[in-house]
Amino acid sequence: MLWYTLKRLLQGVITVWFIATATFIGMHNVPGDPLSGERATNAAIRANLEARYGLDRPVTEQYFIYMRNMLRGDFGISYTQQNREVNDIIREHFPVSATLGVLAVLFAALGGILFGALTALFRNRLPDYIIMFLVILGISVPSFVFAALGQLSLVNINSVLGFSVLPVAGWGSVSHMLLPALVLGLGTMAYMTRLMRSSMLEVMSSDYIRTAKAKGLSPTRIFSRHQLRNAALPVITVLGPAIAAITTGGFVVELVFAIPGLGRYFVQAVQQLDYTVIMGTTVFYGAFLVFMVILVDLVYGWIDPRVRLQ
Amino acid sequence: MSANVSNETLLSVDNLHVEFATYGGIVQAVRGVSFSVETGQTLAIVGESGCGKSVSMQAVMGLIPMPPGRIRQGSAKLRGQDFLGKTHIDGKAICGDEIGMIFQDPMSSLNPTMRIGDQIAETLEVHRGYSRSQAFARAIELLELVKIPEAEKRARQYPFEFSGGMLQRAMIAMAIACKPSVLIADEPTTALDVTIQAQILDLLKEIQQETGMAIILITHDLAVVARMADKVAVMYAGQIVESASVDDLFYKSAHPYTLGLKLAMPSNRSDAANQLQPIPGSPPDLFSPPAGCAYCARCPWAMQVCQGDNPPPFVVGDRHYARCWLQHPQNERDIDGLYRVPAEQVADGPSGSAKGSTV
Repeated sequence: MLWYTLKRLLQGVITVWFIATATFIGMHNVPGDPLSGERATNAAIRANLEARYGLDRPVTEQYFIYMRNMLRGDFGISYTQQNREVNDIIREHFPVSATLGVLAVLFAALGGILFGALTALFRNRLPDYIIMFLVILGISVPSFVFAALGQLSLVNINSVLGFSVLPVAGWGSVSHMLLPALVLGLGTMAYMTRLMRSSMLEVMSSDYIRTAKAKGLSPTRIFSRHQLRNAALPVITVLGPAIAAITTGGFVVELVFAIPGLGRYFVQAVQQLDYTVIMGTTVFYGAFLVFMVILVDLVYGWIDPRVRLQ
Repeated sequence: MSANVSNETLLSVDNLHVEFATYGGIVQAVRGVSFSVETGQTLAIVGESGCGKSVSMQAVMGLIPMPPGRIRQGSAKLRGQDFLGKTHIDGKAICGDEIGMIFQDPMSSLNPTMRIGDQIAETLEVHRGYSRSQAFARAIELLELVKIPEAEKRARQYPFEFSGGMLQRAMIAMAIACKPSVLIADEPTTALDVTIQAQILDLLKEIQQETGMAIILITHDLAVVARMADKVAVMYAGQIVESASVDDLFYKSAHPYTLGLKLAMPSNRSDAANQLQPIPGSPPDLFSPPAGCAYCARCPWAMQVCQGDNPPPFVVGDRHYARCWLQHPQNERDIDGLYRVPAEQVADGPSGSAKGSTV
């Protein structure tokens, strides 16, 4: 198990290095650079700035300098924001995105497993039809629509009741997190419901469930001891990428709910070709994703003993 | 526990009809099956794939999903009490407690993510109210009983760490955990290789001698039947076509289908006279079972009457019945290899009217 973990971590490091290199190459091949903004700078100032940031050197040299700094944990300073280190941006704003993301994934996983199991148990009956209809809705409607709808209904509920049940936007307390997290997790929840439904149906018709019935176990015990755990395995597999996707993909929801997350900086940096912020956030998100996948693999091995020894 | 075979009927199934509603129509999988088994006895149910042997036992255990499955008619009694559609009689659970069951493919019949010991212990926790540690300790004893070496270590392992034969032993340990009075073995050796088959069968016999439980053995292997069974029911197209003691079935085969099965059985001698002879054709479509004898289309000796009327079970001996018109007292044709009631006995033995009688 230890060897396996080490092996996976080494693979992860290589993956992150690859992500960093690919981003670096891609970024430098985009026309323009951080200094070619709206304000025209004259050639002398430009040359000075390039020398200051090392942009006048060959790209390969820049690459090695960057990699060396990155290994020391230094992502550099932002080109577009005054006196902001990339590390500070990540340190300040990532926890917000992460909290929101984890909560959203929690919603998605619990809801997906619960609703998926329900649809399978009530296969081809009314609850199944209703939930599967909502699932299609959840998968096809983009999150900003749900965000807007959620805010609108919250405003109405608050004004009808005369006091604030949940805040409509902003950040600070748990009550601020609930609606955005739900909205953010909705698509993934729908996807996981479908996944759980099909894997639950497969488990329900498997031989070992027949054995469990022949042992005379009650339906509740069969459900909790034999079906749920086995059926949840595929859902857990997608949990890792889902956490990363939700955490990094929360940009729109963060914007609608005025949440100071990292997603906004990520997108802004790409628009402004803020080299250091692009690299910093991409490598950070990449590492985060890789780490989550490894973590899920380890959890998977814990739940499914067959994976452990292979 | 004694190994004495009492003559008390333990489990009896009477006139069982099971059908499945599918998109293509209603499949009449079991069409009036009756049999019984006594304490300490082994009943083998033989037949080819799809003849309804597994379905009838699963229906009795309440294991077929309903819908699409449906038990249209019939009863199943344990010590005289009908339990069909019930989960308990006299406060004891049918499944797992009174009747244990093992299945064809041990590799897929155990939960892959649960320790073997826990899976065995579960039965004891549910039916006997054992605590977790108590049940686990008993599970280790049971694994020892089914001759799994290093039972203590093995109990903590998962199914994928076991071989097929070991898994079937674990299945047996699980099925006998609550000392059931009947063990249903649904093709217990089909998925195993031949040497392991013999070990598993010997183990079943040994446990039977120790505990006196009855075994209902579902198989399509006549060699297994000869080795294990006290009596045999041959099933074809959802009906029992012949039932007899194991000796009578092999030496006094009274149904053409039984004869066909015997000819299709490999023997030690490999000369031309002992070539395997397959039964040509395939079983009838159970969406619309034939009005007459289901075997008619494949029977080399089919007569006019066979097409229109399904033969009743004719008595051909002591507890020996065959559903074949050739056994009708008025039939004068003798067929080579097919057992007939000697002419002098026909006069005093009743026959023909034995419809619906149990084995």
